[in-house]
Amino acid sequence: MEFDGEFELDGVPPEKAWIVLSDPMAVRDALKGCRYITPMDDEFNFDEYEAEEDVEMLPEADPEVVAERAFVEGQKYAALMQVGVGSVKPRFETTVTIDERDSENFRMVATGGGDASGSSFSMESGMQIHPVDDGESSRIEWWTEADISGRIAQLGSRVIKPVANKIVNNFFGNIEKQMSDVDEEASSGVTDRLRNML
Amino acid sequence: MSSETGDVPVAETEYQHDDDGGPDPEKHHGHGRGGMGEEVKRKEDKRFITGRGNYVDDIKKPGMLHCEIVRSPHAHARIENIDTSRAMDVDGVVAVLTAEDLAAHDLATMPTLMDDTQDVLVNEKVKFQSQEVAAVIATDRYVAKDGAEKVEVDYDVLDPVVTARDALEADAPLIRDELEDQEDNHIFDWDVGDKEATDKVFDEADVTVSEQMEYQRLHPAPIETCGCVADWDPGKDKITVHLTSQAPHAHRTLFSMVSGIPEHKVRIVSPDIGGGFGNKVPIYPGYVVAAAASVVLEQPVKWMEERSENIQTTGFARDYDMTGELAATEDGIIKGVRTDVLANHGAYNAVAQPSKFPAGFFNIFTGSYDIEAAYGSLTAAFTNTAPGGVAYRCSFRVTEAVYLIERMVKVLAQELDMDPAEIRRKNFIQKEQFPYQSPTGWNYDSGDYEKALDKALEMADYDHYREEQARRIDEDADKLIGIGISSFTEVVGAGPGKQCDIAGIEMFDSADIRVNPTGNAVLRVGVQTQGQGHETTFAQIVAEELGMDVDNITVEHGDTDTDPYGLGTYGSRSTPVAGAATAVAARKVRDKAKSIAANELEAAEEDIEWDRESGEFHVAGAPDRSITITEIAASAYMNHPGAEEPGLEAVNYYDPPEMTYPFGSYIVIVEIDRETGEVDFEKFVAVDDCGNRINPMVIEGQIHGGLAQGIGTAMMEHVTYDENGNCTGGDFMNYLLPTANEIPNFETGYTVTPSPHHPIGAKGVGESPTVGSPPAIVNAVVDAMAHAGITHVEMPMTPDRVWESLNEAGLALDPRQNVNFEFEGGASEEPADD
Repeated sequence: MEFDGEFELDGVPPEKAWIVLSDPMAVRDALKGCRYITPMDDEFNFDEYEAEEDVEMLPEADPEVVAERAFVEGQKYAALMQVGVGSVKPRFETTVTIDERDSENFRMVATGGGDASGSSFSMESGMQIHPVDDGESSRIEWWTEADISGRIAQLGSRVIKPVANKIVNNFFGNIEKQMSDVDEEASSGVTDRLRNML
Repeated sequence: MSSETGDVPVAETEYQHDDDGGPDPEKHHGHGRGGMGEEVKRKEDKRFITGRGNYVDDIKKPGMLHCEIVRSPHAHARIENIDTSRAMDVDGVVAVLTAEDLAAHDLATMPTLMDDTQDVLVNEKVKFQSQEVAAVIATDRYVAKDGAEKVEVDYDVLDPVVTARDALEADAPLIRDELEDQEDNHIFDWDVGDKEATDKVFDEADVTVSEQMEYQRLHPAPIETCGCVADWDPGKDKITVHLTSQAPHAHRTLFSMVSGIPEHKVRIVSPDIGGGFGNKVPIYPGYVVAAAASVVLEQPVKWMEERSENIQTTGFARDYDMTGELAATEDGIIKGVRTDVLANHGAYNAVAQPSKFPAGFFNIFTGSYDIEAAYGSLTAAFTNTAPGGVAYRCSFRVTEAVYLIERMVKVLAQELDMDPAEIRRKNFIQKEQFPYQSPTGWNYDSGDYEKALDKALEMADYDHYREEQARRIDEDADKLIGIGISSFTEVVGAGPGKQCDIAGIEMFDSADIRVNPTGNAVLRVGVQTQGQGHETTFAQIVAEELGMDVDNITVEHGDTDTDPYGLGTYGSRSTPVAGAATAVAARKVRDKAKSIAANELEAAEEDIEWDRESGEFHVAGAPDRSITITEIAASAYMNHPGAEEPGLEAVNYYDPPEMTYPFGSYIVIVEIDRETGEVDFEKFVAVDDCGNRINPMVIEGQIHGGLAQGIGTAMMEHVTYDENGNCTGGDFMNYLLPTANEIPNFETGYTVTPSPHHPIGAKGVGESPTVGSPPAIVNAVVDAMAHAGITHVEMPMTPDRVWESLNEAGLALDPRQNVNFEFEGGASEEPADD
């Protein structure tokens, strides 16, 4: 099943969008149903891991902390997602690997997959941030190719696609909100320091 | 018993002709005792409509455990590991079974009805989505479900293949790699008829037509899903299984063979069954798991499917990808028929049909027509879909054959610009040609096809609608009229034991009649009702043959400990086979009754006559010296003739000499909305001929139900899969059954052409409407667009499919034409305020 789309962030330059979309904590907060996203190793246990609470978020966060936790190319992440599709509300234990991360061109590609009782999926997703209005604003192009199996897949694309689109639109909406928070309140110093670190 | 009783003629023709003493079948309405032809209210309905039915899920036993099956989310995957530990930690979970556990009891696999071997629980590789991987046994159904969620299975996912066409490609993934010598997904090739003669007819024909059509995958979808309660009694070393079974005795034999428990220590009880339609003929892994768990745990175990489990894993129907061809003269005489089929059998070859017929009775594809040459070929393939190919309310693939020929006749009529009724008339097997041997080897017993068609045409007001159709076309009306005809012939009542068997057991059936001292009787039969009304109609046969009142006869069935062995109910075989056994057993009882009557009336036996009208025995020439069956029953126990054994009972095991061939003509008139593609039924006429009719009301009920299912088939139902093998048509949200909303009024009619070889001249009727109606409906929809060149629309004919055809033919109307504002470019001017 293929999904793709675009989202415009008015008044958010690509550099700033890149910073927020590079922060697993920002992504977690923007993604409805996401309990945590955290780097994982082979010993990782979804049941035992407890999500960090009260983490510092931009713009208050220490730029060094945010830069430290930013997505890393080649790193594998664990994410716990609970998504409601029709009558089914599975809890997906998901692993995601950042395959490509191009800070010059603001492009990121990840592959991953997840299992829940009776359902599973694997996917390859990517996004690319394009400057618009002479770099004053951003257009985010995103795409996902997913193989879905089991109970959720049985609902068929006419049920899944609206849910997926809603999650994605909701996600970018939340990101946009975080961006404007950053934009309005953060001193340019924080973002400049971050940009240098990333 | 007198020696005569041994040779009761199997083809006694008492009902068949007015002039031989039997009643005229056309006028026959019985003798007021509830015998043949009377509209007796169904005996079983009292318990059903007062909520006192007793279905498998109603069975509750002390200490009963519940079984939930863990199923694969993938269609094709190797199992790397199964971790049951978290499931076992759930409070109330008693056991978690995997293939390994079953292997210890030699139950990891089971044979299918077509001699394939299916995993009970997946051993190494999952072959279709929702296949059985593990089973959780718990104290409560919901606890079992919680436990099943905790079973962790690691899969190595493989590429699946879901259609027969793709499965036969050279680079398709190999599904059955566990089978030796299996190098591809090909199961078998089959053919029938004379290829050379048929090719010659085609080469020399004036006209040939060809059409490709798919009989989509359906599911019988009985409202009661499959399930069982298995109860091992360690004190008696005996297992009792309450089972949703259409064939309890055959299942007992198979159960014994699979489990190793001796057959006399296996009791199958098929209680009230909430619809079978072929779905409850095979044996499913859930039954085996529940039985194994009961034996191991020494407690009763219930397994009951959910709706989606039923549709996604148990026997589907159809899935034939067919090409049909006809060769004909310019004036519409059909000279030859050719067909080639790709059959999707799913992951295992588990079709439920007589073992000598790998393509079922598909070779009746010459239908109601006298065709010089015929040739059919078929290739069956494994795919990563649920196994099946059951006879969904039909006799083994007859539905596919009827669809093919009835569609092709319409295609030919269009090509020749002939009236589809006229072209049928020109090609019908004529009534004087019966018994008729078809070019593919069937011996049709009797028929009068033109009579049924004429009656249907008259009932449908055919000429009027043809005029109306032309008028609408002339006026470029928004709604088009289409008229579809189907003049089908079925082959049912399997069958002669030498031809037909299920897993080696010949397809006879049985009846056991015991008349009590007080004059009432119990009839036990080897078939099992799933709603057909056997408790009424079989009692009517006994009432007719013994002169008893139908209320004094109880019919029992479905318990292998007490009923005589039979092969079960499917393929419209109950009346043709067990109905015949009932009549023959009743005549045996009547013969013995005659000798008792002679004793009581103090006359020689040869002077005793039986009067069908009064139901009494009397001395020839002295009708006053008579005796009733009630009096005879008393004598059989209280004053039996010295030369006879006491009691009054008889058994018959009936091996039919031939199949029976019910037929009919259906006419469907539809109105198609050129804007939306929606199809409305204007008129729906069904004329059926099932030979002599036992209970016209029960017949009509069966016709109505079958027509509803035919409409579901033609318009709504489809088990779909996506390219990953996900079953996307596996629940009632996606697999649409017709409701009262979609069903029009039916006008039913009948003709009576008795079967010459059946003891009561009956043929079976339950499946005619499901078989006969889909082509009539498709023909009607195509007919509405025929003037614009449409020759076929695939089932299910959803509004979008119909609209696509309308669009292709240039007939579609823009739905916006009648709307006075524009959708694109924003709203048009505001309406004026005045």
